Amino acid sequence: MRTLIRLEKGAFVVGEDLFAMVGPDEPLPAGPVILPLRRFQAEGAAVLDEGRALGVRLEPHERVEDLAYDLPRIAVVALAFPKFRDGRAYSAAVLLRRRLGFQGEVRAVGDVLRDQAFEMVRCGFDGFVPADGSGAQDWAAAAGRYRHVYQAAADARAPAFVERRG
Amino acid sequence: MGVYQYDLIDADMLRDRAEAFRDQVSRRLSGALTEDQFKPLRLMNGLYLQLHAYMLRVAIPYGSLNSAQLNRLAAISRRFDKGYGHFTTRTNIQFHWIRLKDAPDILDALAEVGLHAIQTSGNCIRNTTTDPYAGAAADEADDPRVWCEAIRQWSTFHPEFTYLPRKFKIAVTASAQDRTAARVHDIGLKLRRDAHGALGFEVMVGGGLGRTPYIGKTIRDHLPAHRLLSYLTAILRVYNRLGRRDNIYKARIKVLVASLGAETFAELVESEWRSLDGEMLDLPDVELARIRGAFAAEAFEPRPLRSEIFEGAKRSDPAFARFARRNVLAHKKPGYAIVNVPLKAPGAPPGDCSADQMEVVADLARRYSMDDVRVTHAQNLVLPHVKLDDLPLVFARLQAEGLATPNLDLVSDIIACPGLDYCALANTRAIPIAQQIAERFADPEMAERVGELKIKISGCINACGHHHVGHIGILGVDKKGEEFYQISLGGSGAEDAALGSILGPALSASRVVEAVDALVDAYLAVRRPAERFLDTYRRLGPDPFKEAVYADADQA
Amino acid sequence: MSSLLHAVTANRLEDGAVVFWSRTGWAEDFPDAELFEASEPAAAVLDAARAQTTDLVDPYVIDVRLEGEHPVPTSYRERVRALGPTIHPELGKQARGGPVVAAIQKAAGAARSSGRLSLIRRK
Repeated sequence: MRTLIRLEKGAFVVGEDLFAMVGPDEPLPAGPVILPLRRFQAEGAAVLDEGRALGVRLEPHERVEDLAYDLPRIAVVALAFPKFRDGRAYSAAVLLRRRLGFQGEVRAVGDVLRDQAFEMVRCGFDGFVPADGSGAQDWAAAAGRYRHVYQAAADARAPAFVERRG
Repeated sequence: MGVYQYDLIDADMLRDRAEAFRDQVSRRLSGALTEDQFKPLRLMNGLYLQLHAYMLRVAIPYGSLNSAQLNRLAAISRRFDKGYGHFTTRTNIQFHWIRLKDAPDILDALAEVGLHAIQTSGNCIRNTTTDPYAGAAADEADDPRVWCEAIRQWSTFHPEFTYLPRKFKIAVTASAQDRTAARVHDIGLKLRRDAHGALGFEVMVGGGLGRTPYIGKTIRDHLPAHRLLSYLTAILRVYNRLGRRDNIYKARIKVLVASLGAETFAELVESEWRSLDGEMLDLPDVELARIRGAFAAEAFEPRPLRSEIFEGAKRSDPAFARFARRNVLAHKKPGYAIVNVPLKAPGAPPGDCSADQMEVVADLARRYSMDDVRVTHAQNLVLPHVKLDDLPLVFARLQAEGLATPNLDLVSDIIACPGLDYCALANTRAIPIAQQIAERFADPEMAERVGELKIKISGCINACGHHHVGHIGILGVDKKGEEFYQISLGGSGAEDAALGSILGPALSASRVVEAVDALVDAYLAVRRPAERFLDTYRRLGPDPFKEAVYADADQA
Repeated sequence: MSSLLHAVTANRLEDGAVVFWSRTGWAEDFPDAELFEASEPAAAVLDAARAQTTDLVDPYVIDVRLEGEHPVPTSYRERVRALGPTIHPELGKQARGGPVVAAIQKAAGAARSSGRLSLIRRK
């Protein structure tokens, strides 16, 4: 059972994962669920009508834009990393935050490793299910490894050129 | 003075990166990180595992160094390597005998002088390269280094683009003559002024060499210069989302542009660009002015156009006259000159530079070139701001170090990758072929008579030697365990970019020099006045050259 | 006459040096490599090597044949790995000299050109 690490108010904490990650074919369990995109499109409305909290899981080739109208009702968007080197989810996260204004949890799932904490946080991820056994302190250390940043991203950090203005 | 100095923020970045990598190396050595998890991190700090040891590729952002940096590279080569380094076609420097356990100390030593190995490998945005004559050339639309520094900062640790489908290379050119091979980069940016004098970029995308070479396509004729970073963000985002991840041989942006078509790709970029928040991404004027100010502060002295010392030296020393004729170019400021320092002494591995040579060039840069040295993509060095009066002295010291071969752009000014002597990816060696050709044409009179002839040699299809864009390109191929070489003709990496065409069947190693000889003879026999080899090839096509090399049936 | 033998090679993790499995552990010099006639014992060494993830990177089996009495890797790439860069005979393992190094340097591949031989012998 993997741990969920949450970034809450700037601090990394072990979170309680209330959501069940549901596969493409399995029957729906009770309680909050994260559905693959196709199942969300087919069954999401029904789940929400039951008053349950709902999340959607996107594979790297699936487009966040397809969720645009549904985002206000989605609690978690889980972005999958089949291999940690597949960087498509970073763009998806940035778009979710910056373009689509998503306020819920953006969760990294799959081949999720502590050495990508810095990039993930900057791109707007705030939930992490590590595959390497790393804990909240590891993530805090990795995410905090650069005192400055050069460019604006999906976090609140001011880029160097703003810092330089004083 | 005259070059961008890293401020506290830039310096902090290097130190933080070095510290992060030190931690990652220690976790790899302890086994906390697997090789699979560590390798992309190692590559993004410039460390390759090669044939004999690790190779460290140190970044030289836009090819620019000061004397303190060059001296530090010399010191590192002595302390951690075997006393030499190799300058590459992306204007970086490689050390071929590095130990992983020393890498953190090396990064610390580099950071002290504002150097690093950040993103010189891996599937991320690499070093942005530019014209080695930037800031010295009279005809540049604007100093490209300003924009290269902006790109360097924007691309460094960019969180969205750290795990791209494949590597990403950007080049910026600003003069009519393209000395950057911009048209065969993932993004080539040509700085230009439009009809109203407004500064902008022609944006070319999808150029590249390697297994499937392409010339880049222009997707935007004029991008207002101050919108550069937001536009690059749009391009990279489209690439990051749509570039292929299933096949590393089809993962470069050139494949995406070719498969979508340049028009569709351009539309995707424009649409993304319109949707993103330029104000957050583009540099404010005050930051652009800060960067520009760093490059503009040159203390050139007013000098007469003509230098009697220079003229007198040319009259009295034919070797100096030849050097001046070949390697010295006009500077935008009267009384100054651009001096090319070739790392191409016949018989020496192209692009290699010993620690002693680095220190001599560093000293010359400090004394005579406003503490400014450049690296060219042809694996040579440049002292960009030398007073004509100082040239004879500079020449004498270069000559003493074997750094004054008068062969800029001539047949012995060869680009060659390290090849199978060093590189784990190579099929054949490249350096010995380059050495043989350069020795065959070592006579400077002969070389001058032949004129401009750019030979480029790659030891494998990855094309780090840029063979696709050589006037004569040579590609090493493995034929039944023996080294064979395929010759192509008519390539060009300049503003008239073109990919070479294969001349005929590959030749065994022992046949290559005589083939080049035959090609040169064929050219000399039919050339018109002022026609370079490339021009004659374009006029006549491959037939006379094919005939010259393959006429004897059992030579094939 | 040259029958095919095998050896196991890798790069050492901490410094990237080329190493060869020998009877006394991982050795830096090809002349010390243990030579296997059959492929199974070589495969067993390879499996053990793959488990040594904090000592070695990318272990693999190479083919070796005898040139007279001296073993020589059959592939040109492995010969360069066993020697060092051909353009710098003073650098790398070849600088240690000895009869096996000499044999590797002289080895004929699937036909080596005289050009290549003389390059290795230069300076």
